[in-house]
Amino acid sequence: MKTVKAKVFGPDPPCYRCTAVKENVQKVAEKLKNEGITVEIERANIASREVVKKYGVLFSPALAVNDAVKIMGRIPTEEEIERLIRAAE
Amino acid sequence: MDEKLTRQIRTALLLAFVFIVVGLLVYSRIMAYSLAPTMKPADFSKYAWYEIPFYYLLDYFSHGWICLLFAFVAAGLVYEFMPKQMINKYMGSSKVTGYALGAGFAPFFTVCSCTMVPLFTGILYTGAGIGPAITFLLMAPAANILTILMTGELISWEIALVRVIVSLVTAVVAGVVISKTPWGKAIEKEHQTGQNPSATQQTVEIVKLPLDDRLISALRFGAYLVKQILPYFLLGLVAVSYVSAYMPEEIVERYLTGTIGVLVASVIGGPLYTPTLVEVVLGRSLLQLGMSKAALLSWLMGQPYDVANALAVSRIVRWKVVLTYVLIAWACSVSFGLLYGVLTGSL
Repeated sequence: MKTVKAKVFGPDPPCYRCTAVKENVQKVAEKLKNEGITVEIERANIASREVVKKYGVLFSPALAVNDAVKIMGRIPTEEEIERLIRAAE
Repeated sequence: MDEKLTRQIRTALLLAFVFIVVGLLVYSRIMAYSLAPTMKPADFSKYAWYEIPFYYLLDYFSHGWICLLFAFVAAGLVYEFMPKQMINKYMGSSKVTGYALGAGFAPFFTVCSCTMVPLFTGILYTGAGIGPAITFLLMAPAANILTILMTGELISWEIALVRVIVSLVTAVVAGVVISKTPWGKAIEKEHQTGQNPSATQQTVEIVKLPLDDRLISALRFGAYLVKQILPYFLLGLVAVSYVSAYMPEEIVERYLTGTIGVLVASVIGGPLYTPTLVEVVLGRSLLQLGMSKAALLSWLMGQPYDVANALAVSRIVRWKVVLTYVLIAWACSVSFGLLYGVLTGSL
């Protein structure tokens, strides 16, 4: 059993590309549920000062796994997200 | 087939595609093949009103597809391959770097709220402050790779170059002036807590991708831009075809030449929101109808940025700052239009 936090960064209101990232993460979360891996999905507003200060993300869409930014400025595929989440401690 | 070979083949195919697109543009240059529509305003008179947009679009796309294809492929590639991490790292380091990045990197960002808003707020929050943020905001829509390519191919490379230079000056002036105003300073203060952001930052460990995946990602971004921009572009072209067909030359000659022309062009260029790239095509039609080149420059400079961006940004910086840079941008558009007209004798 493990829990992995996935945070999707994007502007608010969400743009198409950020929504696409979130959907991919959700699909992966569904898949990994059966294996006992819980993925907590959060959305972070990239236009908020706290988010920019904490993560230093300037390019959206971005994805952080367990608070480490892994993807910036592109839409990762489901396989890639799955690899990242499996690799996360 | 093993994975390595598949990857190599994919990479080769994708690279071949990119080279073909670049090659097409080069070939069209060598053969002096026009990428701009060839119809003159007078040619429209032989068509019925409902036929006009059809023939204009046909004319436009039979010539313009190479340019459009190249522009979107280039925009995708540039966004994927630019050194994002480096920009991220240096963005907050100093004011001068902030201005240089804000203005210098703007050409690599294509008009899209996904890329504009985060960068604007990022520049504002990470330490460079409001000046570079405003510079970036004004520079990006005026001088991104799509508009430079389209202005160069459809109007002239001279205008494209002048447009980039004057936009740069305008953007930096607006940035510096706003950072000196009390309301600009107030916003800067509000958004900076004084501590070095990198000290509190979380780790950024970007995953590196193999070349074929990066190319695919670049082309996907290009395709996304097409989906975002093309529908409005098509609608815009329909409107342009009617302007070309029905706008009397006397009106254009009377109001869009000379000093009045610059003033009128700068004023209608602003509020008349045209979708991205349409301003270039419309500018070309008006030029054919007799608008002066000076007025054309003012017109191109008066183009506002994405409305969605403006809304998002005004929520962060409030109306006083927005009003200030609109006024500065307008004043610059008039002065540079007049200056260009006087210098080139095309007022």
